[in-house]
Amino acid sequence: MDKLRDKVRNLLAQGKVAGYIGYIMKDGHPLPHFFTKDRLEEVDRAIVAPGDARYPLDKLLQQAAAAAPDAVFAIQVRGCDERGLNELYKWGQLDPEKVVLVGIACPQDQADYCECPGPWTTVIDSGEKCQPVLRSPRVDRIDSLAEADALQEWTTHFQRCVKCYGCRDICPMCFCKECALEHQDLMSTGAVPPDTIFQLVRAVHMAGRCIDCGLCEENCPADIPLRVLYKKGNLLVKALFDYDTGSPEAGPSPWKFLGADSPLATKPM
Amino acid sequence: MAEKEFEPKILGFFCNWCTYAGADLAGVSRLQYPPNIRVIRIMCSGTVSPHHVLRAFQKGADGVLIGGCHIGDCHYLRGNYMTIKRMRFLQDLLKFIGLEEGRLHLEWISAAEGPKLAETVRNYTEKVKNLGPSPLKRAALAA
Repeated sequence: MDKLRDKVRNLLAQGKVAGYIGYIMKDGHPLPHFFTKDRLEEVDRAIVAPGDARYPLDKLLQQAAAAAPDAVFAIQVRGCDERGLNELYKWGQLDPEKVVLVGIACPQDQADYCECPGPWTTVIDSGEKCQPVLRSPRVDRIDSLAEADALQEWTTHFQRCVKCYGCRDICPMCFCKECALEHQDLMSTGAVPPDTIFQLVRAVHMAGRCIDCGLCEENCPADIPLRVLYKKGNLLVKALFDYDTGSPEAGPSPWKFLGADSPLATKPM
Repeated sequence: MAEKEFEPKILGFFCNWCTYAGADLAGVSRLQYPPNIRVIRIMCSGTVSPHHVLRAFQKGADGVLIGGCHIGDCHYLRGNYMTIKRMRFLQDLLKFIGLEEGRLHLEWISAAEGPKLAETVRNYTEKVKNLGPSPLKRAALAA
């Protein structure tokens, strides 16, 4: 923790960054906080948030960057947050020149809970690298079900949806100004539970973009296992287009790229 | 009273330059195919968003057939590259949530392939008929 605080203090004191988006311990609660040079003493209370008190810091950074486009900000990132930043750079939402990383390596229990294949950052300022989880047992379980059973399970989950849009609103990757989920021509409006396809439309949007932070699922009041759906979307994108979501080396998004040759063939009837 | 045979509702998205022209050819050649398909003419199969396909299933389609130009023949050069990417992904995603494979089908049919169009629609209607009513439709009704 001291290493992290020293780094943040130096960055702020030397004026290298206009602010640091991290967490603070306030009245016994870990909360997201915007640290500045003017209140340097607050850095003494800067913390690494526990795994069950995570917030979409990437989203806060987008707001800060939109308000001050020329300023450089430091941000606390876990592996997932950094993948998110990489995707946001690609989609033109943030400038990599204007972001300084304060990296966290997640503990083993967090990685196991998230089934995370990359639970650390390129710069580690707190924590030690742990064992990644390369295969998701939750996805494998659904894959092993018969079609009718899988559909039964998913529709049961989908029917619990109260259409609070919490999954979308907390998602650090959801930056569109207009949302297909609210489009009258694409989705029935004014009914709960929403259309059966509600979650599928979001799953299509998250493919090749979801960085598997899991906030949607933790935020969901109906406990819909959204993460399993989006994990599968990313696995399909990997299988079909060999695209690693969130990797800086992966090149442009497969949905953007108009390839000159297509290795895909139509499926037989 | 004997129960009526299940007649599926199939939604077709046919591209203006190839598959729709192929359907025209099938028509003027007087080739027969079942009337279960409702065709929407679109300018390019690349304009079919996964939204439209999902919306069709939500609204009660038992199958969705998308027809586009062969790879390399797209009137807009690369439109059908987008089609195959999106639809292959969507086919696999629908399979994951438990929709039978084949509810969504993509076929390249050129303007000269009238017989292929008639045969594709015949075979596809038969296939969807055997699959039965879409389970998504049942789920939507239950909700």
